[in-house]
Amino acid sequence: MLKTSVVCFLASYGCAFACELAQLKWRHALGRMIALLFAAAGLVAHTFFLLQRSRQADLPPLLSSPQDWLLVLAFIVVLVYLFVSLADGELATGLVVWPLVLALVVASQFVTSSSSHFLDSHRGWKMLHASTLVLGTAGVLQGFVLSLLYLWQHRRLKHRQSTNSAVKLPNLERTERLNRWSILVAVPLLTIGVASGFGLSIFSKGTDLPMTWTDPVVIGGAVTWTLMGVLFIWLLTQKRTPGKQLAMLTAWSCGFLLVTLIGLQMLTSAVGIRSIHGNAPVQR
Amino acid sequence: MAMHLFSGKRIGFVNLLALYCTHQTTPLAIRERLAFASREKLDAAYSSLQERFPDTESVVLSTCNRVELYVARASDAEPLTPPQLAQFLSEFHGVPLDEFVGELRAATGSEAVRHLFEVISSLDSMVLGEPQIVNQVREAYSVAEAQGSCGPITHALFQGAIQTSKRVRTETRLAEGKVSIASVAVGDFAKSIFDHFADKLVLVIGAGEMAEETLRYLKDEGVREIVVVNRSPERAQRLALEWGGRAVPWSELNKWLGVADVIVSTTGSDQPIVDAELFKKVRSASPGRTAFILDLGAPRDFTTSVGELDSVFLYDIDSLRKTCEDNRKARVREIDKARQVIIEESSKFMAEFYRRAGGDVVSRLMQDWHGVSKDELDRLFNKLPHLVEKDREQIERTVERIVNKLLHPPLEALKDEAREGTPHGLINALKRLFGLHD
Repeated sequence: MLKTSVVCFLASYGCAFACELAQLKWRHALGRMIALLFAAAGLVAHTFFLLQRSRQADLPPLLSSPQDWLLVLAFIVVLVYLFVSLADGELATGLVVWPLVLALVVASQFVTSSSSHFLDSHRGWKMLHASTLVLGTAGVLQGFVLSLLYLWQHRRLKHRQSTNSAVKLPNLERTERLNRWSILVAVPLLTIGVASGFGLSIFSKGTDLPMTWTDPVVIGGAVTWTLMGVLFIWLLTQKRTPGKQLAMLTAWSCGFLLVTLIGLQMLTSAVGIRSIHGNAPVQR
Repeated sequence: MAMHLFSGKRIGFVNLLALYCTHQTTPLAIRERLAFASREKLDAAYSSLQERFPDTESVVLSTCNRVELYVARASDAEPLTPPQLAQFLSEFHGVPLDEFVGELRAATGSEAVRHLFEVISSLDSMVLGEPQIVNQVREAYSVAEAQGSCGPITHALFQGAIQTSKRVRTETRLAEGKVSIASVAVGDFAKSIFDHFADKLVLVIGAGEMAEETLRYLKDEGVREIVVVNRSPERAQRLALEWGGRAVPWSELNKWLGVADVIVSTTGSDQPIVDAELFKKVRSASPGRTAFILDLGAPRDFTTSVGELDSVFLYDIDSLRKTCEDNRKARVREIDKARQVIIEESSKFMAEFYRRAGGDVVSRLMQDWHGVSKDELDRLFNKLPHLVEKDREQIERTVERIVNKLLHPPLEALKDEAREGTPHGLINALKRLFGLHD
């Protein structure tokens, strides 16, 4: 199989971002095309890398290590970005998406990459836990991106700036609708992820790394999940929410969730705290 | 540059003439008398052209801003002259020649090509970069084709023109950005707020001309529900009837202000009719509902404080005009780029014509030289029967290479000259030097 490294797709994504930035100054269809080609090339390298890692660890990428989990998250974001860009090649979503993708890939280098076969006998539960959490987090990330795009467009329209600049943004109504749906889908997924994690904690009793409520990742996860739950209920109970208010709330809560989750993963890896989500002993 | 009608300039090698009057040069009063406004009139014009000028290709382009005739003949045929076409226009429309002849402009050969390329790229349009002209030229070409009036020159010319307009639109930003108040309001701002308009309620306050124009754009976007409120119920009724809406009494203004998604206001009121306090109050039943307000009144109908409310996007005539002006300036900045594309495309078009003109001499010269070499080789092989097949082939290839190398410099010179125009001098020289008789 083709040998790829993180640098391969990180460089491709960096070039795609640079092309998007260049569009601000010199808008040209060719520039868009090159940006998409870089993104697609990066995604291919990204896919090979994840497959390679999965083969090495003999585990699906979602379960092998926190590093791979973050890379899967970045992979989903790029996939959605490519889909959106192919549907409407003029939308400047890349300006918001690429910094996040680059941050995720860079952050993945600061969390543990050692694979763990901890609780391997409950692989089904682990898969459910990891996949719902990654999909839920991707939904949250999408909500975050949409909120930023909404606020950007809102500001432009309030200041009566021409929408015919190099940056084409989606309309407010659609952004608001997609944002709402992102949260409404993401929170139930996160809930399933948290619930299955709770189930796994029961299985972890009696192992040499039982889940403890003092695990920073667990605490951070619980707090942010509660916050997202509040946002979810608020969305369901409000008859009509002003779009800007929704975007602000989503941007803050999603941003907080992302920073907390990724920050805590990095912290546990840096400090070397024994955590069920990171520095677990390798079981054979 | 177009020449004046009777300046006496000679028709170029591409036997093409464009005779035209446009909004830039001719008043509407004359243009409308020379226009081919209906399909019947256009069909009759083609019949008349074919009868009067047989063996002539022709395309008529007639829009509200221009009347243009493009006629072409084979390069060895007698060229048509602007006075002949002017006479045709005069007789066909029954307009005395002296009433319009001074308003006509003519262009020939490469100038005519460039003129059409500029027209289709909308450099010559009243609104720079407007897109309708492409369809108008396409339509004119397709009618001419249906009438059997097109030939090799006009086919190449109009296909080249369509190709040029595509290049101009993709490689420049000439057609980007709206330039009228109503189109900016709807196309730029309303569409950046709303995803679709079919479920939106449009409230029109007043019945001014600007409201009508805005309604046209909103209707195009799919608006179904229109409510018109005006102090004069008759005018409200008329506007509502025209745009499929309903007129309501002025006393219901606040009720409709509370539920409308798009508000277009064009009253002639001396004072603002809605302030932030009133607007907040009437919208209290539907908090968070987005309102897009187009205040086209002068003096303004809404106080600026209304625009500071959440979920309210208020645009007055000045803010829209500024966007129009910015867009117009952005288009003007693209003119040079568009002209560059046009120069490239028209040069390419002309070079292709000239290449074809020189191509005949080239092929005859090559044929002759290769013919001579073949005869000489046959004679040589008859004298040397002991040569094996392989040796013969080697000799044949060597001679062919020599001929090609000898022909290369004159052919390159011919190609170079063709870039500037038909290389008549060189062609004649080659004909005389190598005995290429017609």
